[in-house]
This record gives sequence, C-alpha cells and structure tokens, in this order.
Amino acid sequence: MSAEPILALDPRRAIGHAAVLGAGVMGAQIAALLAAVGITVDLFELPGEGAERSAPARRAIEALGETKPPALAEPSCARRIRPANYEDDLDRLREAPLVIEAVVERESVKRDLYARIAPVLAETAILATNTSGIPLHRLAEGMDTARAARFCGLHFFNPPRYMHLLELVPQERVDPAVLDFLEGFATTVLGKGVIRARDTVGFVGNRVGVFAVLSVMHNAERFGLAPDLVDQLTGPGVGRPKSATFRTLDLVGLDVFAHVVETFARCAADDPWHGTYRLPAWVEALVHRGALGQKTGAGVYRKRERVIEVVDMATLEYRPAEARPDPQVAEILRIQDPAAKFQALIHSEHPQARFLAATLADLYHFCAWHLGEIADSAREVDLAMRWGYGWRAGPFESWQAAGWPQVAGYITGRVERGEALAAVALPDWARDPRRRGVHGPQGSWSARLGRDLPRPDHPVYRRQLVPERLLGEPPVPKPTLLQQPGIHLWDLGDRVAVLEFTSYMHSIGSEVIQGVFEALELAERDCRALILWQEEPPFSVGANLMEFLAALEEDGIEAVAPMVERFQRASLRLKHSPLPVVAAVQGMALGGGCEFLLHCDARVAALESYVGLVEAGVGLIPAGGGCKEVALRCEAESHGGDVFPRVRHWFELLGMARTSGSALEARRWGFLRAHEPVVPHARELLYVAKAHALALYEAGYRPPERREDIRVAGATGIANLRAHLANLLRGGFISEHDHEIGVRLATVLCGGEVDPGTRVDEDWILALERRHFLALAQTDKTQARIQHTLTTGKPLRN
Amino acid sequence: MEAAYIVDAVRTPVGKAPRGVFSATRPDDLLVHVLRGLLARNAALDPGAVGDVICGCAMPEAEQGLNVARIALLLAGLPETVPGVTVNRFCASGLEAVAIASDRVRSGQADIAIAAGVESMSLVPMGGNRPAYNLRIFEDDQVGIAYGMGITAEIVAERFAVDREAQDAFALESHRRALAARERGEFDAEILPVEVVHRVPDPAQAVCVERRRAISHDEGPRADTSLEALARLRPVFAAKGTVTAGNSSQRSDGAAAVLVASERGLRRFGLQPRARFLGYTVVGVAPEVMGIGPIEAIPRVLERTGLKLEQMDWIELNEAFAAQSLAVIAKLGLPRERVNPLGGAIALGHPLGATGAIRTATLVHGLQRHGRRYGMVTMCVGTGMGAAGVFEAVG
Repeated sequence: MSAEPILALDPRRAIGHAAVLGAGVMGAQIAALLAAVGITVDLFELPGEGAERSAPARRAIEALGETKPPALAEPSCARRIRPANYEDDLDRLREAPLVIEAVVERESVKRDLYARIAPVLAETAILATNTSGIPLHRLAEGMDTARAARFCGLHFFNPPRYMHLLELVPQERVDPAVLDFLEGFATTVLGKGVIRARDTVGFVGNRVGVFAVLSVMHNAERFGLAPDLVDQLTGPGVGRPKSATFRTLDLVGLDVFAHVVETFARCAADDPWHGTYRLPAWVEALVHRGALGQKTGAGVYRKRERVIEVVDMATLEYRPAEARPDPQVAEILRIQDPAAKFQALIHSEHPQARFLAATLADLYHFCAWHLGEIADSAREVDLAMRWGYGWRAGPFESWQAAGWPQVAGYITGRVERGEALAAVALPDWARDPRRRGVHGPQGSWSARLGRDLPRPDHPVYRRQLVPERLLGEPPVPKPTLLQQPGIHLWDLGDRVAVLEFTSYMHSIGSEVIQGVFEALELAERDCRALILWQEEPPFSVGANLMEFLAALEEDGIEAVAPMVERFQRASLRLKHSPLPVVAAVQGMALGGGCEFLLHCDARVAALESYVGLVEAGVGLIPAGGGCKEVALRCEAESHGGDVFPRVRHWFELLGMARTSGSALEARRWGFLRAHEPVVPHARELLYVAKAHALALYEAGYRPPERREDIRVAGATGIANLRAHLANLLRGGFISEHDHEIGVRLATVLCGGEVDPGTRVDEDWILALERRHFLALAQTDKTQARIQHTLTTGKPLRN
Repeated sequence: MEAAYIVDAVRTPVGKAPRGVFSATRPDDLLVHVLRGLLARNAALDPGAVGDVICGCAMPEAEQGLNVARIALLLAGLPETVPGVTVNRFCASGLEAVAIASDRVRSGQADIAIAAGVESMSLVPMGGNRPAYNLRIFEDDQVGIAYGMGITAEIVAERFAVDREAQDAFALESHRRALAARERGEFDAEILPVEVVHRVPDPAQAVCVERRRAISHDEGPRADTSLEALARLRPVFAAKGTVTAGNSSQRSDGAAAVLVASERGLRRFGLQPRARFLGYTVVGVAPEVMGIGPIEAIPRVLERTGLKLEQMDWIELNEAFAAQSLAVIAKLGLPRERVNPLGGAIALGHPLGATGAIRTATLVHGLQRHGRRYGMVTMCVGTGMGAAGVFEAVG
C-alpha cells in the first residue's frame, strides 16, 4: 500500500466543502457549480443592513433559481450553499480546504481580504482567485511563503456551469503540487476543461478572445461593414457561435469589455498590437450613452416590438438588423475544405471576403507572436478558444487546416505591405517553410521551449479514454469490431464493446436499428459487456422522423407498423441481451434515444444530460418500449402501494414533453435510477461506464426477465388523467389534438381500460403502444407536427 | 310541525390552507374544540340529552374520516350514548347539518341536536387524497363532473359576462368588509379562540416539545391588497380566463358547531334561543355551472318559507368565486349591501364542509346584534347544486 493517505490523492474526498468569497454573478454561480457536484459551500458577501446579517448572500443564492440558462443543475442543490458574511462568519473558513475568491476586480480589495482571512485559513487550505485581469504575482505580494505556496488563479468563464474552460494560473511561489491537485480536482470533480495559463495579462482565453473581437472591430471599420453584417460573417461560417461578435458583446456587456480592453492597454504597453487595444469611437459612444448591451435593454442591438435593430456606426441611430452576406461570399463560407476556403477568401475581391481574410490573418499573426509568452504550447490556446468561446476550432488548428505555409506567406505579405494590425514579422518558427502545423503525433508546438510538447500526462487524463482531439492530432484508435451504415462497434479493451451511432445527431433510423441487432449478435459472441456511447453529444435525438414520415407518406400505415415493431424489438434486444448493456449519456437523449436508454441495464450520465420522452411534441407517444418501461417504473416506484401517483408523475413528464435540465434532474424524475452515477466531465463517461459494465459482468449478470405481472392503474387511472385533461382543454391550455394525444398516452401508461390493480404482461403494453402510436401517426395534425419539427426544429402547437 | 331554535353557534377562527395557522392541527381536534366550547357556553344543558351530533365535511377521509362526528364527540367528552353522523354535500355540508339537526327537532325526533361542520384543507386536499374518477363520466358526456371548481367559475363568468375588473373589485370589497368587521368586533361572539399546539423535536433534549400559540382571528383578510395587486395576478384555470387566486375563495381550515333545540328542549334546560330555523332547500344545476346554484335555490326556499327577497335583512352568500357571486347577485337582483356585510369567503376563507355552519354562526349572531329579523345562508355546491337556509332572529 502507498504510504500517502488516500485523502490527499483523491480530490473528491479532499474537497467535500469549500468557501466562495463574493456573491456576485460569478461567485454565486461558482458556488452553484460546486453544489451541483455535491460540495457544500459557504458563500460570503458583505453583511446586510438589517437583522439578518447574511441577507445579501442569501438573496444571491435565491437568485440562482432564476438565472437563464439555469445556474443550478437541480434546484435542490441550492440547499448545499450556506449564506455567510465577512464579519460574523469568518471562523467558518477554518473548515474549508478550498477557498475561491471572486470579489470585485480591484487589487486593493482582494489583497485586504486575503490579509483579513489569513489568520483563520487552515494551513493546508488552497486559496484561489477568479481574477480575470490582475496579475497573480501582485496579488501574492504580502503573503508569507506558506500561504503563497497554496495560492493561485482559477479563472472560470461566464456562465461557469456551461463554459467548459477553466484557466489554472500559477504565480512564482506556488507549490506545483497544488496546481497538480487543482488540475485533477477541477477536471474530474468539477468537470471543467483545465488549461494551464501563465501569469500574463488576460491569461490565454481573454488575451486571444478579446483580441479576436478587436481585430473584427478594427477590420470592420476599415472595410466599412455594419455590425449586423459582421455578425453574419463571423459566426458559424467561420466556426464560431451564432452570437458571433457583436451579439456576444451585448451579452457580455460593453462596459465589461471596455474595462478589459483598458486593462490590456495599461498592462501590455510594449505589445506590438498595443495600438489596437482601444474601442472604435462608435462603441465608445454606446458605452458613454449607457447602451451596454442586454442588461440595459440596448447595446449594439436592441429589440423593438419583436424587431431586432442594430445601431448605425455613423449616426448611432438604430435600424432593423437585416444584413445578409453577399451570395458570393456566402458561397465561400459554405466550402467544407478549410484550405480551399482560405484560398477563396484571400483571392476574392469582395470587401466582405477581404475583411474575413484580414481578420483571420491578424488573429493568427497575433497568436503566433504571443504564443511563447502566454502559453506553454499551441494546445492551450486552441482549447481555450474552443472551451471558453465556443469556437469549433482554435486559431492554430484552423490555420493548420487552412495550410500552414500558405497562411504564413499571406500573413508575411500583409505585414510587408503594411496591411497588418501590427508591423512585426511572424516568429521564425512560424515562417519555417517545412512547418505544416503546430499539432501532431508528438504533441503541440511550444514556442517558449522551441519544441513540441506532448499532451499533459496528469493522471486525471487517464480517465479520459477518448480525449478531445485537436485538429492535426492523431485519433485515439478504436479497433473496429463491426462497421456498417448507421453504427460503429469497437473494442474498448478488456472485452468491452462500444456501440456508436454514426447517423446525423445520432438519430435512430432503420440502419441504426439493424446495426443494433447485428452489433449485439457480435458482441454477445465475443464480449463481456456493451456500452452505448457517442463521442460527441447528443446521445441521440430520437427516432429518424424524416425516414418515418417519408415511409408513411409513400407507403402508408402498413409500411410504418413493422418499423414501430422493429424499434420495440431493438429495445427489447438491448434489455434482454445476455450481455450487460450500459448507456453512457451526454447531451440530449430524447424520444427514441431515451427509450434505448431506459432499456439499458444501467445508465451513466454526464452532468449535462438533457433527457426526455418528448414524442408528444410531434404528436406521438413513445412506442419503442418507452411506455412499457415507464409502466414498469411506476410499479417499482410505488413500492407495492398505489401506482397512480407515479403514473401521474410520468404522465406529466411525457404529456408535456419535458426534458430534464441536467442528469440530476433526470435522476430525480426517474429516467436514471437512484444510485446511477452522474459524471461531471463528459469525457470520463466511458471510463466510468466501463467500470460499471465490468462490475455488472463480474457480479454474475443475468438479463432481466420479461414481466408478466405488471400492476397498472387501469380504468380509474385513465379516468383521473382524463379529468385533468378535460380541465386543461376547457381552460384553453391544450388543443383538441393535445387532448387526444393525452388520452391515448394515459390509456397506454395505465395499461388500458382494465380493472385497477390488474396485472398485465409487457407484450400487452407494447401492443397498446403500437396501437395508439399508429392511430396518432395517421392524423393530419400529427403529420403536420412532424413536418414542422423537421423543417424548423421547433414544435408545432396545433 | 314543531319549531327548531338556534340556541347558540360557535366557530374556530378560520386559518389559511395549506400553510396557515392550522396547517398541522387535526380537523377532529378543531371539531372537539368547538363541541366543548358550545357545551361550556351552554352549561345548563345536559350533554346526555343531545339526540345526535350531525357534522358536515366535504372530504370525509383520513384525518377527518371514519365518521369524524362520532370520534370528535367522544373525544369532546360527550356521553357515549350520544350518536354522531357525518354528512357530505360538499360546500353545503355544514348548512346541511344544520338543516338535518333542525328537521330532527321539527319532526319531534329530538329535543336537542348539535349541527357542526369541519374541514382541514391543509391535511385533506380538495378532491381527496386519492381521487378515483369513473371512466363513464367521459363516455356518458358527464365531463362536468370532472371539471375543477375554477373552470366552472370561468364558464359562469363567460355566460353571465362577469368581467375581470368586476371580480377583482368584488374581491377587494370582501377584504375591506371583513377587516372593518373584525375591527368592530363583529366576530367576537362567534369565535372560540384556539390554542394551537405544535409538537417539534428538540434534538438537544432528545424529546418532543410543545410550542403553543393562541389563534383568535381569521387569517384570511388582507389589509395589503389593492385593485392593482389583484389585477397583477394571472388566471389559473383558463389560459385567457378571468378567475384568479385573488378573486376566488381561499382554501382554509376551520370548524363550527350549532346548538339546535325544540321549545321543549329550551324549557327543559332554560335555554335562550337566538334564532329560529325556517327552512332549507337544495336544487341541482348543471355541474359545469355549479356556481349558479343559488339562483335556483334562493327563490325556492323563499317560496317554501312564504317570504320575499325584500324581507331578507342579511344574506350570507358563500363567495366560492367572485364570478359566480356576481352572477347570482345580478340574476336575482340581490341588494349588495345586505349580501355578506361582514365580508365573505374570498376574505374570510372557505373551509368547504365547515362553511355552512360557520356562516350560520355569523348570521344568527349578526341578526341578533344588529336587531334584524330575517336572514339566509346560501351557497353553490360542486357537481352542480345550490343550497339555501332561512333563519329568523328571536328574542
């Protein structure tokens, strides 16, 4: 046995409790994140005026229930957060092995606070600051050596629950073991994507991200492009989020952005891009006018009577935002091959294309020049932009994909012609004609060390069996057991097979169903267990409605009836296979995808899992065995008592097509069973699922037996649900068609119009599923709903 | 036929449900309290002479199940020879109990009877703990049976063109009258204050400790409401409806007991009557417009008692909803100032099966205190009925 106590090695057990200083947006939401993973938190704020001294912190905790998107993974998590104030409750800090400071971004305030808490902090406690701009070494001034050894930066991105990036920032005196510990903790316990930053202004994410915005702004001005057009150009077409540049800015707040730019201007005086660290006059005018973005109701954009308006850069008046890229440029943005796309951009005469080429070139130029200063390798920069800014690929990756030497040549040309935003040459390493990129089998380029740096070898990453891969990095081998249209079955080792769907959004059509049958057959012969898993979310958006509707329209109900039955048989096959089958879920698991999940022997879910039987939204009911599984759960959850209260619970979930806001909620609702694991980091799913599957195998797994004695609510249950539906219909809350769906759903979930307490077998409920599903599928209104959802991605209420 | 006299009537304060002052108080305990109080106030009466205890309850199950009348009378210390029966006519249950007790006396079968009503909507929700509808109500197109009370109020509002503003104004007036009445002490004679006992764990001592709190006023009336506040509430029962939590009766907990005697009973125990029971009528209407019940019941009971509407000095019209109250008032031309002069269920609360007995208490004390002669208690009833009882002050 190792001499080191397990407590020190296991971040889960080492941090059961934490303190967060500062109950502002970031502080409170960091507390919410900690609470979601089971850590109790003392949330500190200044004392209030009244008798209840910790009222300000309490109000911040209450406000967590109202944020959009929700900061709390589950409302009950708020119970783990205890309000506190700096005057009465400092003693409580003694208990906290981790203290995260997220107070106002003022050096003096932070340092005063550190001095004040120093006497009560446990010697072993780690103090981390969420500062986004103040140099760590300045904040560490005045700390004794022991304290400084356990002080560093933990920079969360807003909103902390949803932004994957967490920057771990050292300062000179920090103990490297502390950083290692936090990297493990933040990755496996908090589920964050950790990158090691350096103690430079803006760290990695904001240094690059803010410049990316500035480069867009200055180039837009140069080419005379309006903000709404710029957003059309700098969004998904170049691999960035739909909110692109200016809409993102409105969300962040123009004042916040201005403040960061100001910090850059002050702290990076000898930066060759120093001249760009300023806002264009029109943005400055908006800030001056108090038009700060979403929080003030107007910024670069505003909404007037459902019309989105954008500010005119010259007059500062608002006009409807309706700019569209030139068709010729839009055509270029649709090019799939990154190299061809870049070439098309730089060779186009169109100002919109030239703007994009200039913006990208300036960004690449900036990143190459700063790489050695701000990051250990190009890897950190690219991951920061993926995880912190929602880019599909980081700047180095997209440069590499576009053809390294070609892009480097283009940048050099611009510098020589004086077109670049800074007049410095690309670093030698970037201009090396033999260079093909920065990411490769040997790792990622470190400009500081002048060599490739392998992936971080922190033990926590051994839990990521298929880690996130940068463009240019070789893929993790997935030894194929079976590959055919719709599915890929591969060997995870230890005779555990992984089944992935290769369909769009992992929807389930006839190919996937066929694949499930064949994969099971093969795995049953050669493997110990099967894991249903997708490398990227969603787990599955459900049945392939396009295929279903086409079959229905072409060949009628006779053609789709066997499809439904086949889906049910696939579900049953998953459940009754002699292999233990584990669903490893992340992202959406909807409709048919949820039905598969329910039929697995066990579920392992990433915290960010959105699970629901949402068939009612497209005018249907679950008919892949989902209602049967729900009926089984109703009986189990009623523990021998009245099944109806559970039927009512499930009826509401299915009838309203509700989707869980997290795996914790899915578990509370019953989609996951009470003790099934929720994994904060989605990349660890496979590791946990494998352990789970092997445990089932080793414990002598036998498939569940087909039940013939399911207790159902019967006629009385249906009547109760119909009473509820009658009120909703008369009250105008649901449509006639909703009502029909509801009555049919009620009938199936209650096991048909049998005497209450009747025991039925699984086939009976499966037959009810099919009958009522097919009856609904034949209605015009259901077909209209399916068509509408396929076209718009949104539900139709008819 | 003999005359039936109301000798006395007492009630608990009415608490809010499900999180009010009686949220953890058992309804049978509330009933015990009013039975004891009634007998204590009429100490000349030999409890063994009580011919029957008839208690109304709208959801007679769980804490108020198993014939709560019999259980409570035994717990209240009445002799075991005194029988008890629980009756259910939903919201008219308490008035039904008064009518049955009076009829028992009028028909000469008893000289003394106690009518009562009890309901804890905190502990037994409306609809009961385990609703179990009959599927036939949908097959036979009797869907009105399944309608919640709120929906029926929406239908009445539509059919009788009662708009949101009128409903909110009516609700505000109910609160105003209730608060003014409390201020004037109008409820003092009828209310028996209750000492609520909460039993909570004391982990330090590892014992269960009792926390006591005296309750002597109705919890429902709000001084802080206003037309603006009422207007802000969203309709709950219909997407584009007008019925809100603010212009509906409040869910409540409470109990009341009424002592009824024949002339012989009065003489035997030297009791002074407050009022005489004149008659009672119940009529059925369509379930989906149950709120209009009083429109049918009031003319019928007046006809039976040979009285005219103009002779009614005081009408206790249960405010199930402002919408149906206004429809009844408009349709029958009830004089607004004589309807619920002390406020109604929107402010005072509506503990379903207890309300009839509670408002009987309010009426008989009120008629006497104000020197008025004729009065009426009337209400609409779920699944479509209207009930009305007429009383005359005496002495």
